[in-house]
Amino acid sequence: MESNSDPIIVRHRELETYANAALRLGRVMMECGASVSVVHAGMRMVVQGFGVDDVSMRSGYASLEMTLHVGGTTITRMLQVGRLGVNHRLDQAVRQLAVRASKGGMAVDEVDAELARLVRDTPRHPAWVVAVAVGIACASFGRLLGIDWLAFGPVLVAGCIGQYVRHQLLHRGVNVFIVAGVIAFLSATLGGIGAMLLRSSSVNLAMMASILLLVPGVPSTNAQTDIMDGYPTMGSARAVWVLMIMIFAAVGVWFAEALLGLRS
Amino acid sequence: MLELLPHLLHQALFGAFAAAGFGVLFNFGFRALPWCAGAGALALAVRTLGQDMAWSLEGASFAAAIVTSCAVSILRRQLGPACNAVALSGCIPMVPGAFFGQALLGFFALTAPNPDDAVVTAIMAVEHILRVVFTLGAIGAGLAIPAQLLRNQDF
Repeated sequence: MESNSDPIIVRHRELETYANAALRLGRVMMECGASVSVVHAGMRMVVQGFGVDDVSMRSGYASLEMTLHVGGTTITRMLQVGRLGVNHRLDQAVRQLAVRASKGGMAVDEVDAELARLVRDTPRHPAWVVAVAVGIACASFGRLLGIDWLAFGPVLVAGCIGQYVRHQLLHRGVNVFIVAGVIAFLSATLGGIGAMLLRSSSVNLAMMASILLLVPGVPSTNAQTDIMDGYPTMGSARAVWVLMIMIFAAVGVWFAEALLGLRS
Repeated sequence: MLELLPHLLHQALFGAFAAAGFGVLFNFGFRALPWCAGAGALALAVRTLGQDMAWSLEGASFAAAIVTSCAVSILRRQLGPACNAVALSGCIPMVPGAFFGQALLGFFALTAPNPDDAVVTAIMAVEHILRVVFTLGAIGAGLAIPAQLLRNQDF
């Protein structure tokens, strides 16, 4: 009971709630595809809204750390970050929450509740809509690469099916690199078979276009942004992740080409 | 110039479709998707013009990213803090994913027991991977420079 009234412990507990709220907000931003400098800015805005100005932060690929210092009391807390993806609407909504929190007047519980509400209620496109959109994007990519019109339909269908199956596999918690390899094999095989059946003259390009849903465009530009912003460790980690995804995707295409007899 | 127009329109149209398609994957709202499509069309139009003027892919991608980033910066009153994300989504169709895949497949082919035309394969693979690195660098720099100089807000 004595410890509950100890002003240092009380202050520690208070700072801990600030840090945890900011870390939770930073985690959501990171998982939505924000760069490190933006995540740090968002977390800083939240704790500044609580009246803390002396803040230090560090970001790893899978964790965030924050140290708060107020009047001789210092705490450091760390939070694990989940799989990094891209979710624009949630990212923007959380940024707006950080702006509101930075103006002061929001309690820790309010920030936490609002963050939980945003994560729960921010709309996402249905999986089938995303699948169709990605199929169209892959076929469009294919046209930009130079596939003929005969291969357009097969690439569109292969992209749709690939994206839908990827969504299901990731939803079931399958490793993201395994998913990349499996989807590359599936999409390249479907796109290649379709292009062959329709006697397209760009079968190889059609197979490559069918897997372009896997190319991690946002992480690769985020890698560069992080390095330019002074976070080379995180930038390098993102670049290695991009390379690994592409290696698994290329292995999938390699097996698809071997299956279709396009590789000696 | 007029004979280039159909090709330019073709590239811009499919750049728009690709950017909007990836916009859906990235969970842009329906109101933001036309902006993504517009950014994609602009980026591909500028890149195609550059390549038609015999610029390298990397140079044309750099110019396209700069123009796209400047264009969304002009529109930042309408787009708000999302303007940088719209520019990025517009540049996604320029990410050289196919070159990346072809480079890796080339490296795989080199490790076969008796590779055919190993030197040619190696040179092609290295050329592809260099194009990936330089093009990604060009896109990243082209997006970042106007955003930094024009002080686009992230929040």
